[in-house]
Amino acid sequence: MNEFLGFLVNGLSLGAIYALIALGFVMIFKATSVMNFAHGSIVLLGAYVVGRTHDEVGFWWAALLGILAAAAAAALVDLIVLRHARGADLGTLAILTIGVDTLLSTELTREMGTAILDAGAPWGTSTVHLGGTSVPLSRLVAALVAVVVVAVLWAVFRFTHWGVRMRAAAEDGTTAALMGIRLGRVAAGAWAIAGVLAALAGVFLTSFPSPGISPAAGVTALAAVPAWVLGGFDSFPGAVVGGLVIGVVTALSAGYQEHLLFLGRDLAQVAPYAVMFLVLLVRPSGLFGSKEFARV
Amino acid sequence: MTTTAAVDAQPVVEVEDLRVTYARSVQALRGVSLWVPRKGVVAVLGNNGAGKSTLLRAISGTLGQEGGTVTDGSIRLAGRPVERYGPSAIVAEGVLHAPEGRRVFGTLTVEDNLRAGGTAARSRRARAEAGERVYALFPVLYERRRQRAGLLSGGEQQMLAIGRALMGSPRVLLLDEPSLGLAPLLTERIAEVITEINREGTAVVLVEQNAAMALRVADLAFVLEAGRVSLQGRAADLAGTTEVRDRYLGMGAGQRPAPPDPGQRPVPSGSGQLLPPSPGQLSPPDAERPSPPDVERPSPSGVAQPSPPGAGQPSPPTAAQPPSPGAQRKGTAEAGSAVHELVVEDVSVRFGGVQALDRVSFTVTPGSLHALIGPNGAGKSTCLNVLSGVYAPTTGGVRYGDHDLTRLPQHRIAAAGISRTFQNLALSPGETVLDNLLVARHRYMRTGFLSAALRTPRSRREAAEHRAAAERTAALLGLDRLLHSRVGELPYGDRKRVELARALCAEPGLLLLDEPVAGMNHGESLRMEQAIGTVQRELGISIVLVEHDMRFVMGLADRVTVLDFGRRIADGTPAEVQRDPHVLRAYLGDLPGVTT
Repeated sequence: MNEFLGFLVNGLSLGAIYALIALGFVMIFKATSVMNFAHGSIVLLGAYVVGRTHDEVGFWWAALLGILAAAAAAALVDLIVLRHARGADLGTLAILTIGVDTLLSTELTREMGTAILDAGAPWGTSTVHLGGTSVPLSRLVAALVAVVVVAVLWAVFRFTHWGVRMRAAAEDGTTAALMGIRLGRVAAGAWAIAGVLAALAGVFLTSFPSPGISPAAGVTALAAVPAWVLGGFDSFPGAVVGGLVIGVVTALSAGYQEHLLFLGRDLAQVAPYAVMFLVLLVRPSGLFGSKEFARV
Repeated sequence: MTTTAAVDAQPVVEVEDLRVTYARSVQALRGVSLWVPRKGVVAVLGNNGAGKSTLLRAISGTLGQEGGTVTDGSIRLAGRPVERYGPSAIVAEGVLHAPEGRRVFGTLTVEDNLRAGGTAARSRRARAEAGERVYALFPVLYERRRQRAGLLSGGEQQMLAIGRALMGSPRVLLLDEPSLGLAPLLTERIAEVITEINREGTAVVLVEQNAAMALRVADLAFVLEAGRVSLQGRAADLAGTTEVRDRYLGMGAGQRPAPPDPGQRPVPSGSGQLLPPSPGQLSPPDAERPSPPDVERPSPSGVAQPSPPGAGQPSPPTAAQPPSPGAQRKGTAEAGSAVHELVVEDVSVRFGGVQALDRVSFTVTPGSLHALIGPNGAGKSTCLNVLSGVYAPTTGGVRYGDHDLTRLPQHRIAAAGISRTFQNLALSPGETVLDNLLVARHRYMRTGFLSAALRTPRSRREAAEHRAAAERTAALLGLDRLLHSRVGELPYGDRKRVELARALCAEPGLLLLDEPVAGMNHGESLRMEQAIGTVQRELGISIVLVEHDMRFVMGLADRVTVLDFGRRIADGTPAEVQRDPHVLRAYLGDLPGVTT
């Protein structure tokens, strides 16, 4: 039982990180109808900037720099690459982002070489005992940050004028433009926020218990894709729930691997996709997705 | 309504010789000039595809999103040229556009819809004041402010769409079809609201299908036809002329409209035109006796207009002359189903508290073309949906031969030999025309999955037969050269004809057509008219045609039933119906000069 509880808490905290990434996917998809497969390398970029700069400026400033760099990079992808392809079909746009991902991750890999950087987070490798099970402190912080981020995002969307504009543009861009809402700014803003979320996720994804910042982090980040699809492409609550589900499934299938050997090793890599598949069989639009969007 | 002051005021919007092209090939506006007096209401009328919405999009700077560009001409706002401005710059100039189809943000609350509309407000205070004004104008929006806009009724959504535009405190409000799909009572309410908005100092450009309503609230009116202004003048004067009844309301001499005379087509010209006609120019309208057009044409010169290049302008209609028997293959697609009499008896349909149809009866004799007309919200589509089994009537019955249609599921109705088209197309865009047509042959196909896979001789023979049948139908409608084109790539008019062909491929005895020319331009609509005429002559089936373009119906129908407020207000031959005072009132409202 204790063992199960441990896996569950670990899974939820891992899921919180996936949720941050999936929220970025949803944000971009809602605002610009782009399936952004460059998101993994933006996660990596955020983490890389933190890893490179924390020695000189300290972790907190480094984190801020990482966040700004990822936000700027995401906004630039939108401004430079995608603005000129607005209205192209989903597939074309998705392939464009795959191209961007290849470029960005190749360059980052070249910069990093084989070195594995450390995020230099103050919580280091310490763990916390929680109800008879130990959890890395970084994961608890991650969960806390995710909760705060979700709450702030919700409040911004709900109450600010910027949020109303963003929601209006996401629902019907053509009509929103008739109100004087500048779709270009809304789009760039959405990408920048997704970049912020990506950088936050990048820091936690590369903190203990993972080995550190390496190009592999970009690929790990794509584990949030099933979370995004599972939640239903265009739903913020869906992204959070999807992230948590995938986190827990990953943690459980890794934890009980010994009992599940008949399914082969490294089940944790496959399990998220299996769960996604099963959910989509029952609910083709994902858990919270609206029908049109899921029919892509 | 018309005050001289409003008509003569300095124009706030001036459009001159505006030309707009979509996708670099389709000309939607071919030199439109019009103006909006400061604090005036201008109605823009015209059939579907005449370019009304395009005009509004050009003014609000949103053509680009639809793939359109202004190729020539100018739009000035208070003297300043704005035709190259983007939408947000236009909004900043105080021009707000409430688009067709309401387009409220359905997942946002009413309040948030209004906040989104307030983006353009200059200050927090301006926004708060605009909000109060909107709630005062539409108290129902205040009551529902916390509800999702998607849950509002159609009328409330329209009010929200207008209110949302008012949040930007516009100098000029562009309204695109605000009464579309609304019940007559709500249309009245919208008319009042427009008058009230105008009284507070906002100029309004009103694009409407409901000419009676538009002409009542407007000071000035312009009639667009095939991308040009064909008539203009004071709204009240225009409403009384036979010209408007004839061309726009279809209340003309009772036969097919004359082919457009090139000599009478307007020629866009300079600013000398930009004066309203003096009242003396307009003789009092005469409802009984057709008289020559009284209203000023933009250029009543006899100069022949060079025929415009490109699409949408076919040769004048030849449908008035009898078909040359040799030109058409006679009996190419014999009706596969027997043609029966359709009897609609005392049918009522009620949605919640709304009486959509109120004891409607009519009979369609076998082999005739029966038109069902009426203003928006009259219950025409509801009636068609009852005939095709989409809705069950609350009371009353529908008999087709021995079948009681109110008791049959939809696929059995199709099997009884009734097929239909849809107001908005329901085709598979990625498939070829041929494949779309073959779908309709479904009920005649006998080959099973296995024999089709094995390509047995019988299955091959059957496939060839169905293919031949589809090809014959395509030839009948002039689609034979498009058989292998993908439907999604065809122009709108062709797609509408594909849908008609698909309905015919089912070899029905009774064909239900829902607004076959909605959204078509003049040329396309003429070709559709010919196609329907051909079908009826060649196949001898019954056709029920729902349409609000009265002119289109008058030339085709054997018999016409007119609905208004869900009730049958007239039934008879086209000539009888056109003279019916109830019909005149339903279409034109109680206007001075129209004696009812």
